[in-house]
Amino acid sequence: MFLLLKYIAKLLKALSSEASPNQLAGGFVLGMIIGMTPVASIHNLLIVVLVIALKVNLGMVILAFLIFSGIAYLADPLFHSFGIWMLENESWQETWTSMYNNELWAITKFYNTVVIGSFISALVLCIPMFPLTKVGVVQYRKHIHEKVMKTKFAKALKGTKLYSVYQTVARVRG
Amino acid sequence: MRIKGLIFLAIVTALGFLISWISIDPIVESEIEYQASVTNGALVEIEGFDIDLIDLKVRWDRLQVTNPENTMSNTFETGEMELDFLFWPTWWERVIVEDIIFKDFKMDTERETDGYFEIPEEEKNAEPSFVAQVIGDVTSEISRNANMKFTNIKTNINVDSLMSKLNLQAPNKIDSLRNGLSKNYQKWDSTFANTKINKEIADIEKTINAIDVKKIKDPKKAIEAIKNVQKLAKQVDSLKTRAENLKNDFQEDFGDSKFSVGRIDNWIQADFQRAMNMAKLPTIDPGNIAQSLFGENLLADYSGYLEYVAIARKYGSRLAGEDKDKIDRYEGKDYKFSDKYDWPRLWIQNIDLSGETKTAIQLAGQITNISSDQKKTKEPIRFDLGGKDDSNRSMTLTGEFNYLGEEPRETINFTYDGFGLKGTKISPSELLPYPLKTGTGEVSASVSIIDKRFDSEIGYKAKGIAFDFGQNPSKDRIQQLIRDAVSSTDQINVAALVDNLDGPLKVKVRSNVDDLFVNALKSTVSKEVDRARQKIESRVRSEIGNRKEQLLAFKNEKEAEIRKEYEKLENRVNEEIKKVEEKKKELEKKKKELEDSLKNAVKDRIGIDW
Repeated sequence: MFLLLKYIAKLLKALSSEASPNQLAGGFVLGMIIGMTPVASIHNLLIVVLVIALKVNLGMVILAFLIFSGIAYLADPLFHSFGIWMLENESWQETWTSMYNNELWAITKFYNTVVIGSFISALVLCIPMFPLTKVGVVQYRKHIHEKVMKTKFAKALKGTKLYSVYQTVARVRG
Repeated sequence: MRIKGLIFLAIVTALGFLISWISIDPIVESEIEYQASVTNGALVEIEGFDIDLIDLKVRWDRLQVTNPENTMSNTFETGEMELDFLFWPTWWERVIVEDIIFKDFKMDTERETDGYFEIPEEEKNAEPSFVAQVIGDVTSEISRNANMKFTNIKTNINVDSLMSKLNLQAPNKIDSLRNGLSKNYQKWDSTFANTKINKEIADIEKTINAIDVKKIKDPKKAIEAIKNVQKLAKQVDSLKTRAENLKNDFQEDFGDSKFSVGRIDNWIQADFQRAMNMAKLPTIDPGNIAQSLFGENLLADYSGYLEYVAIARKYGSRLAGEDKDKIDRYEGKDYKFSDKYDWPRLWIQNIDLSGETKTAIQLAGQITNISSDQKKTKEPIRFDLGGKDDSNRSMTLTGEFNYLGEEPRETINFTYDGFGLKGTKISPSELLPYPLKTGTGEVSASVSIIDKRFDSEIGYKAKGIAFDFGQNPSKDRIQQLIRDAVSSTDQINVAALVDNLDGPLKVKVRSNVDDLFVNALKSTVSKEVDRARQKIESRVRSEIGNRKEQLLAFKNEKEAEIRKEYEKLENRVNEEIKKVEEKKKELEKKKKELEDSLKNAVKDRIGIDW
C-alpha cells in the first residue's frame, strides 16, 4: 500500500513539472508493452532492464501496466488471431524458421500466437502512443493539473504522513 | 542511465542465483527420491547429491534402490555417478542427458536401515496393471503346487469333514445365475406384453382396410391413396426394424457370450479341485510333477523379472502425455517450424554401467534411450549387460522396452550359465530331497509381451550332475523307485512356458525326468489316489445335485417361450407388409385403369388416336 501511494504521489509530482515529457512517455510505452504481452515472457525481462536503466518514470510504467493488462485480457483472442496471421504468412516462413531454430530467439516464444501477436501489436502501438503521451503530459500540465491537485483524493494524499515523509526524503535526496 | 537501479537489479539477480544455488540440491534430491520411491514401492536414497548449475552437471556419491520384497536389502546400488545435462532443453523444462557412467554397480546388497516406504494413498494405482495381474497369476500357480504331497498320501479321507470345511461355491453361483436369468425373462415377458408394435400393426391394418379400391373413381384419388399406402409401407418397415432390434437385444442378452454351460462346468471343476487340494491329493501327470519339482524356484525367479517389466510399463504410462506448454492468461498456440525442440520431459541417452553381482560376476554394459516419451525420441529403451567371473560363470541380460507403436512391446532375454551346483538341492520338493555331488547350472529366460499378449519361456539346465543319495538306502518304496530312476541321469532340463496366447494365462512346466517320476508314482500310489479322488468327486457332484440340468431345462423352456412370442410378432409384421404390398399393387392397377379410361374418353372426344 505504501509503495502504491508512493508511486501515485511520485506520478502526480512528475506529471506536474518534475519529469520531462519524454521520461513520462517512455515509462508509459514500456509499461504498455509489459501489460499487453504475457508477463512471464523473456522479452519482458529486457523491458524491465530498460525501465531500470533508462530514466523513465516508474509511476507511469505501473499505470500503463495496470491499464494495458486489463485491455490485453480482453484483447487476447485478437492477439491470437493476429499471431496466427503472422506465423502463417508465407513470405515470413523463412524468418520464423530461422528464428525458431536459433535457441536465443526461441526462448522468447515468438512462435506462440499470443506472444508474437501481442508483442507486435504493442510495438506498433508505441509509435502513436509515445508522441500522444508527450502531448497529453503537456496538455495536462497546462489545463488539468491544477484541478487534479484540488480534488479530495489529491488533498487526502498530500495530507497523509506518508506523503510528507516522502517529500522530506525526496528533498534530502535532491 | 540509472546506475543505482542497475546495481539494484544486479544485486537482486545475484541474490536469486545464490538462493537457488543453496536450495536447489535438497529440493531436487528429495523430489527425485520421492518419485523414485513411489515407482519402486520402497525407499530410493541418494547420498551426496549435487547439481552444478555452471558446469551443468549432476553427481552423487551413492544411490540405493530398496528391494520392495525385502526392505532390509537393496535391489541394486551404485557408487559415484556423474552426468552432464544439456543447457537449452532446460529452458523448455526438459532434462536431456547424453551420457551417464555408473560405477560400482552392485546387485542385492544389504542395507544399514529399513528401506520401507509408505506409498501415499493418492499415488496408489486403483487397478493393478496387466503385468501385475500376470505376476499374481504366476505366484498363485506356484503356491498351488508348492505344498503338494506325493508321498504319504492319506487315503482314508473323511469326506464329511472335508465338505463341511470346503464350503462349495458352485451351488450358490448356479442359483444366483438362475435368479439373474429369471429376472431377465420377466423383463422380456413384459417387453413383449407392452410392446406398441402390436397396436401399431392393428392401426395400420385398420387404415389399409379402410381403403376401398372399388370406390376410387378418380386417378387423383388413386394417387393420393398410393401415397398413403407408401407411408404405411414405411411405417411397417420401421416396425420390422424394431422387431429385429428386439431379436438382436434378446440374442445379446441370452447369447453364448453371457451364458455358457462351460462356465457352470468350470465352477463345478473349481470346487472339485479345491476339495482335492484340501485333501492334498495330487494329480499324477507329467505337468503336475514337473511343476511340483521345479516350478516353485523357476516361477519365483520369473515373477521377479516381471516386476521390472511392470515398473517399466508404469513409468511409461506415468510420464507419457505430460508435455503441455502453458502461457499466462490466454494460452495461444505454439507453432513448430522444425522438430528441433520436440524433446521428451526426460531423456537419458546412454548409461554405461559397470559393477558386480552378488555372486561376484563383473558386470558391464549399456542402457540406452530411457525417456518419458519414446514417440519423441523415436528410440525404444534398450539394454545390453553381461559379464563373467574367473570360474567361467557368465550372465547376459538384453532386451527392449518399445512404446513407439500403439501397443507397448517388451522383450527380455536373460542367461546365467556355469554356476556350480555341488552341495545344492535341485528341487525343494520332497520327491527329490538329495543334494548334488557335482554339476553346473544354466538358467535362460525369454519374455515377450505385446500389449496384453504374453509369451515367455524360462529354461533351467543342470549339467554333469550326480546325486548324493547318502549311505543308507531308503526304505520308502517311492523314494527307492525315484533313486533308481534318477541315478542314471546326468542332466536335467526344465522348461516353463507362461503364455496367454490362446486366452487365459497358462503356466506349463516340463522336464526330461517327469516320466521317470510319473512311472515311479503310478506303480505305487496312483490307485490309492484315484480311489480317493472318486470318493470326493462323487460327493461334490451329489452336493451340487442336478442344479445344472434344472437350470438348463429352465433356460431352454423360457427361451422357447420368448422365441415363440417373437416369431408371433415377426409373422404379424410380415403379414402386414404383405397386405400393404397387395393394397399398393391393387391401387396402382386401379390408377392405370382410371388413367386409361380417361385417355380413351379424351380420345373419343377429340377424335385423335395417339
